[in-house]
Amino acid sequence: MALGAVAFIVWLAVPAIASRSIVDVLVFTALYAIAGLGVSFLLGHCGIVTLAQSVFYGVGAYSAAYCTTQLGWAAPAGFLAGMGISAILAAVVGWPVLRLSGYFLALATLALGIIGHVLFLEWDWLTGGTLGIGGIPHLELFGLMLNTPQRFYYLAWLVLAIVLWLHANLLNSRTGVAMRALRDAPTAAAALGVDNHALKAKVFVLSAVLGSLAGSLFAHYVSFVSADSFGVDRAISFLLLAVLGGARTIIGPVLGALFVTVMPHALSTLGDIHALLFAAGLVVAVIFLPDGLAGLLQRALGRREQA
Amino acid sequence: MSGQLAVTDVRHSFRGLHVLRGVSFDVANGSLTGLIGPNGAGKSTLFNIVSGFLRPDAGTVALDGADVSRQSVQQRARGGLMRTFQTPQVFPHLSVFENLMMGSYRLTHDGVLGGLLALPRARAATRQMREAADAACDRFHLGAVRDRLAGTLPGGQQRLLELARAVAAKPRLLCLDEPSSGLNAAEVEQLMTMLLALNREGLTILLVSHDMNLVAIASTIHVLCFGEIIAAGPLDRVREDPRVREAYLGV
Repeated sequence: MALGAVAFIVWLAVPAIASRSIVDVLVFTALYAIAGLGVSFLLGHCGIVTLAQSVFYGVGAYSAAYCTTQLGWAAPAGFLAGMGISAILAAVVGWPVLRLSGYFLALATLALGIIGHVLFLEWDWLTGGTLGIGGIPHLELFGLMLNTPQRFYYLAWLVLAIVLWLHANLLNSRTGVAMRALRDAPTAAAALGVDNHALKAKVFVLSAVLGSLAGSLFAHYVSFVSADSFGVDRAISFLLLAVLGGARTIIGPVLGALFVTVMPHALSTLGDIHALLFAAGLVVAVIFLPDGLAGLLQRALGRREQA
Repeated sequence: MSGQLAVTDVRHSFRGLHVLRGVSFDVANGSLTGLIGPNGAGKSTLFNIVSGFLRPDAGTVALDGADVSRQSVQQRARGGLMRTFQTPQVFPHLSVFENLMMGSYRLTHDGVLGGLLALPRARAATRQMREAADAACDRFHLGAVRDRLAGTLPGGQQRLLELARAVAAKPRLLCLDEPSSGLNAAEVEQLMTMLLALNREGLTILLVSHDMNLVAIASTIHVLCFGEIIAAGPLDRVREDPRVREAYLGV
């Protein structure tokens, strides 16, 4: 409890004491955690590996960009449009694809990720192609322009907190237990009346909506989007943070997102070698932390309580 | 109580090998019915056809007069047809309690959205599942292990847990596939007592096994041999049947 309070105070104080570039990185931590949470509960609670999250992240970003700059809609409409389109897309694409399992499913989602990226590049009437779309307005909340990293930081992390709360609710619900049952023993789940395929499709849709939400926030934050941001490498980051953080825990994706955003930033001062060091760090983390960073945190806290 | 099962003229073959050659049998309402047969008789195939894991080449399966032949596994389960597996299928990374909660999945309702927002409806569903799990914990003496991960239980207890979970589903018909395999003599004794008690409470049970001792608790027994029912009736009569003696008991 005391630890939570300290963490909260630190979180509150960060924009005031940290440099602008660090706050900027931490905004991305929150955005990645939101998108990664979707990937994480597909992986940790349904046993589904997805490399298509970059597509939904992109749909969210382009929806926000297109609706505000081309159609002149208010920002919330762009958010909703993105989430709606992502949900429909995920349902239509997910229904057949989720019949697959294991490596085949992973490869199929990778194909989706690649196709999405190509379409973002090719449909330049909609996405601006390689040039992208600029001039996306900053978000405004209660008359306050969120035009600095410091201000956006609070919004992004607040959204993340809400999403985590919803996620915790879901995991404790009937559907949440059924998801984990399905991951553990699909045959037994079916024999108890769980419609495995429909449940997977629903969670896939939910995951896509989260990806889209993060993408829309991203667009309004950086006010410029182009296809470069929505490649397969982004999908890999999302999957990576889920694996690294510990996909079966609620806090895992947040820790994973911290790692994949803060680590490269911290290492970048070391020059060209930073990419190599980041990769090495990843390998070490994956080998030595089978339960992810969340598992490490749990062990550390557990030891403290025992002592 | 309901739970009458009617299997009519079911045929099935794998790659030209006729595993079931027109099998018909009934499980009467409220009965404890046994299905026995030597290894390779087609018991598992028949069992999978009844529960929906296999589609027969021909024939029908009806529960309480309604044809369920075209229904999927989960549809039949929701309709109250529960089964257990020859190798117990618990959810290994869920606690014993959560396993039991899944029993009442078919009796509860909520949606993803309700779960996310913790709407009253979703909370009521979770509460109902918890209450049912608590009751099952008491009834099947699983209280001492309720927070353990099911995968860490010994085999006998996993089987008990699977049975408890199926009973928590308040099935109309409970189908048990070789429920005594892997159990020691004392555990089999316990299982028999438990099944008789459940049946007395009105639960219709179909017991599939090659274990003659276990099946002795059934009031009616069907004997399956080389894909055909060769005898049916109470144990004494079935045991005296010359075809059964020859085919099954090897006498």
